[in-house]
Amino acid sequence: MIMRVMAAELLKIRRKMIWFLVVLGPLGVVGLQAVNFGLRYDYLTKQYANDLWGGLINNVTMMMVPTLFMGLAILASMTAGIEHQTNAWKQTLALPITRTQVFTGKFLLSVLLLFCSSTLLIVGTVGLGAALGFDLGDVPYKHLLELIYYPYLAIMPFIALQVWLSVLMHNQAIPLTVGIVGTVFSMFSNRFDDWMPYKWPYLDNAADNPLFSVAAGVVTGIVVLAAGTLNFVRKDVK
Amino acid sequence: MVRMFRSEWLKLRKSVIWLLAVVSPLLAALVGILSILDDAEIIGGSPWLYALSMMAALHAMLFLPLLTGVYAALVCRYEHAGGGWKQLLSLPVSRSQVYLVKFAFIMLLLAITQLLFLAALLGIGLSLGFPGPIPWKEIIVACLGGWIACLPLAALQLAVSTAWSSFAAPLAVNVIFTLPNMLVANSAEYAPYYPWVQPMLAMMPRDEMSFGAFNVSPVTLFAVIGGSFLLFLASGWTYFSKKAV
Repeated sequence: MIMRVMAAELLKIRRKMIWFLVVLGPLGVVGLQAVNFGLRYDYLTKQYANDLWGGLINNVTMMMVPTLFMGLAILASMTAGIEHQTNAWKQTLALPITRTQVFTGKFLLSVLLLFCSSTLLIVGTVGLGAALGFDLGDVPYKHLLELIYYPYLAIMPFIALQVWLSVLMHNQAIPLTVGIVGTVFSMFSNRFDDWMPYKWPYLDNAADNPLFSVAAGVVTGIVVLAAGTLNFVRKDVK
Repeated sequence: MVRMFRSEWLKLRKSVIWLLAVVSPLLAALVGILSILDDAEIIGGSPWLYALSMMAALHAMLFLPLLTGVYAALVCRYEHAGGGWKQLLSLPVSRSQVYLVKFAFIMLLLAITQLLFLAALLGIGLSLGFPGPIPWKEIIVACLGGWIACLPLAALQLAVSTAWSSFAAPLAVNVIFTLPNMLVANSAEYAPYYPWVQPMLAMMPRDEMSFGAFNVSPVTLFAVIGGSFLLFLASGWTYFSKKAV
């Protein structure tokens, strides 16, 4: 059943510039790093001389987390906005699917779109490294996959939160501002201890084990999703 | 024109806009307090300027440019949501008036945000008892300069906000241009030519490269800020006067 909900969701986002943004996000991050490395090639390759790929990956992920925070807020708002703009919540909910399925469908849609972005970012990073003349033989694939998919998993609570807010509120200014505040706040979150969820996607914790951040993110993500679903099931729609 | 202002005011008076205006100054204040308390012993110069630069880094690097986009989308929201463009333009007002009043309203909201930022800075300084006279000139120049540097951004965002009925799409444009600030801000060579990073440069207190009382060089002020402002405003304005609603 959920597959058919997803198929309908994917149909709804066609021609809405959403796929364009999904591609543009990773392309922008890779493009900026291309400019960064292109302009300062000698300086940066000397600085990272003994670990060229590691240096590139670190630079990419440094840009990636804020972009992910901002991107998920925009995607959640755009996907929920389809129903808001046409006042179609009543119609969607009149279909023979449960509200839980509708809400989970919106959440999974954002999760899927961001997964595509993250995967494209991996491809783009390897491509950029190759274009910069780094040896394709020693790409640290395990390290690369970890540093890109772990933040993606640790950011789950925020995907659930933004989907919840975007679906709940008619005025998209509020969820988007929450997203902007979160993005800016996350960049200063290293001042806080490990309990701060905005810190998790940076995989920075006292135990120095990124899997703790990932686990905390996934578990909290499920909790927030459950809370959002419970709330949406009881909500009155326009 | 004054009456059109009042009608815009009516549309936004009871909306979330007041919530949005206070968020960034509050967040900046929090970071300002934290960094002053953390680094209390290592400040060599004036704690006022140190707090100003810490708060401006947070407020103006991403928040102020992004907030400009939210304001622009918000002043167009009522018209997009209820088919209000047709109604608004059937009133005895010209399209240019509608467009310019909306633009002025965005700048008014940004001015309120900057004033709240100023208030937050003064509040922190006075409550933590910063020594020495308040450096009024630097603080006011920073707030005013940041506001002026938002002119081109507001013009571009108003143009895309009138063009697209989705709330998030114009904001996506804004984010695409604003996120590179994280890299551009560090580059002394390219930062003066990138319009989206100007609010931050204009709010950072510093001595070198400044023109008159401003924190940015004359080339940046006139060519980059002024030039992109005129370009964005003129193209948005022309587009809006010919647009089918």
